[in-house]
Amino acid sequence: MNRLIAVAANTFRETVRERVLYNLVFFAILMTLSGLLLGELSIRQDEKIIKDIGLAAMDIFGTLIAIFIGVGLVSKEIERRSLYPLLAKPLNRDELFLGKFVGLGFTLLVNLGTMALGLYLTLLLTGRRPEPRLLEAIYPIYLGLLLVTSLALLFSTLTSSTLAAVCTLALVVTGRFSDVIRNMKEVAPGAPTWLTEALYYGLPNFRNFDFKDSVAYGDPVPLGVLGFVTLYALAYIGLVLGLGLKVFRSRDF
Amino acid sequence: MKLRLYLVLALLPAVPLAQHRLDSLTGGFRAQEEVLYLWSGKQVRRLFPGFEALAADIYWLRTVQYFGGQHIFERGKRFDLLYPLIDITTTLDKRLEIAYHYGAIFLSEPPPMGAGNPQQGIAVLERGTKALPTVWRLSQDLGFFYFLYLHDAHKAADILDEASHIPGAPFWFRTLAADLLAKGGDRETSRRMWKQMYDQAEEGVIKSNAFIRLQILDALDQADRLTAMVQEFERRAGRRPRSLGELGALGVEPASRRDPAGLAFDYDSEKGQVTVSKESPLWRTDFQPRRTP
Repeated sequence: MNRLIAVAANTFRETVRERVLYNLVFFAILMTLSGLLLGELSIRQDEKIIKDIGLAAMDIFGTLIAIFIGVGLVSKEIERRSLYPLLAKPLNRDELFLGKFVGLGFTLLVNLGTMALGLYLTLLLTGRRPEPRLLEAIYPIYLGLLLVTSLALLFSTLTSSTLAAVCTLALVVTGRFSDVIRNMKEVAPGAPTWLTEALYYGLPNFRNFDFKDSVAYGDPVPLGVLGFVTLYALAYIGLVLGLGLKVFRSRDF
Repeated sequence: MKLRLYLVLALLPAVPLAQHRLDSLTGGFRAQEEVLYLWSGKQVRRLFPGFEALAADIYWLRTVQYFGGQHIFERGKRFDLLYPLIDITTTLDKRLEIAYHYGAIFLSEPPPMGAGNPQQGIAVLERGTKALPTVWRLSQDLGFFYFLYLHDAHKAADILDEASHIPGAPFWFRTLAADLLAKGGDRETSRRMWKQMYDQAEEGVIKSNAFIRLQILDALDQADRLTAMVQEFERRAGRRPRSLGELGALGVEPASRRDPAGLAFDYDSEKGQVTVSKESPLWRTDFQPRRTP
């Protein structure tokens, strides 16, 4: 356990040094602050626009961070051959793999926290009350980002970082179209039900983590729903990490 | 090396100079050619999975900018893209109440204030009341618009009567509906509706438009009062006054011979009729207020 934490801490230190991280966080905060200006142009919709932009920035830039840093975690170690001395140490592959996941997960938590702070500050600057209810949208976004990280890590063990980024991005985009997949029969009546069902349940459903709209309108998100979203995320992340571990263990370095 | 630096520095004043010349040749504001590549809200919705609300915000901002740009700067004042923009916005976010409310006003108001298409404005409000059945303000707008723009008092009364059952709806919906049915829609009913819209509107173009409408109604009332004074003058003097100035004998102040915009009322001494001058700034193209039968 201590070794896993050590890897996680090292991964956190390593990822916060990435230049791409700062660029993305900078743009996320810039986008959130742009809500100040855009809200002015919107006729009585400034608060909603600030919330929409802030939450979307967390989702979009968080996903980009998870993908572009996540795909490099293992593949770059392999490409740079820095993995070999690590594996020579008293550290098993599971600890290394899971430590990387936990480390990036913590980085994402810190980034999301920073972006959330930016959103709350923007709301304060416009004289709005910072609502704790926004966390009901931010928490599922974080779960979604952890799922993206696990997918990026899985692909990172299988292929080069570029291809891993493409595969992860493709899966994330597909997962956002889950409602289209479910209703595929409407546009393609010939599609076999088993196929649409398999795709719907098999692919990660990123729609499950989207409560931005409800929260921006002030609708409460029931605890039961958040509970099942958490269960879904944990189960899917567990499966992906399990698969990733199996691949990572079986790879011959 | 220094020569290069001087050359580059010499280019510096060229930028504002060229811009100044361009502005003087083409005008200070050049409205960009507005293009809408996607006309279906459903298509646009497919492009933003998970970010529909953000896309709706962007489209709403574009709608407001498009309307403002055409309204203020364009001489032709074409509003061709207004309805599709509002349609896309409300398809992306069915709960964006402001888009139904202001979108309907933008569409319904006669030019140059708006697009002059109340049918489309009402279509937007009908979609809004279906999407947000508990929002009484949209039902109120729908009722008002049927009366004010399509002059359909019966339909307006039905809508307001139905809207009176929405929780939180103002108590006067029912009385207004009854008045509409009883009187078929008179100037006083119009005044109540415009006053309501004036009170509810934010500061800006919509509020000032409602204010102008109220001023027109005031002017029409004042013209009727002056016509009655002319008849009174005729009854007493046995002839019609040659000008409205003669009404001073009946205690009519000079200020009340002018409409709220400050222009003198027109007086037809042959018919004894006082009307709001066609030159009055209150009038705008296509505006035809209903008169009491």
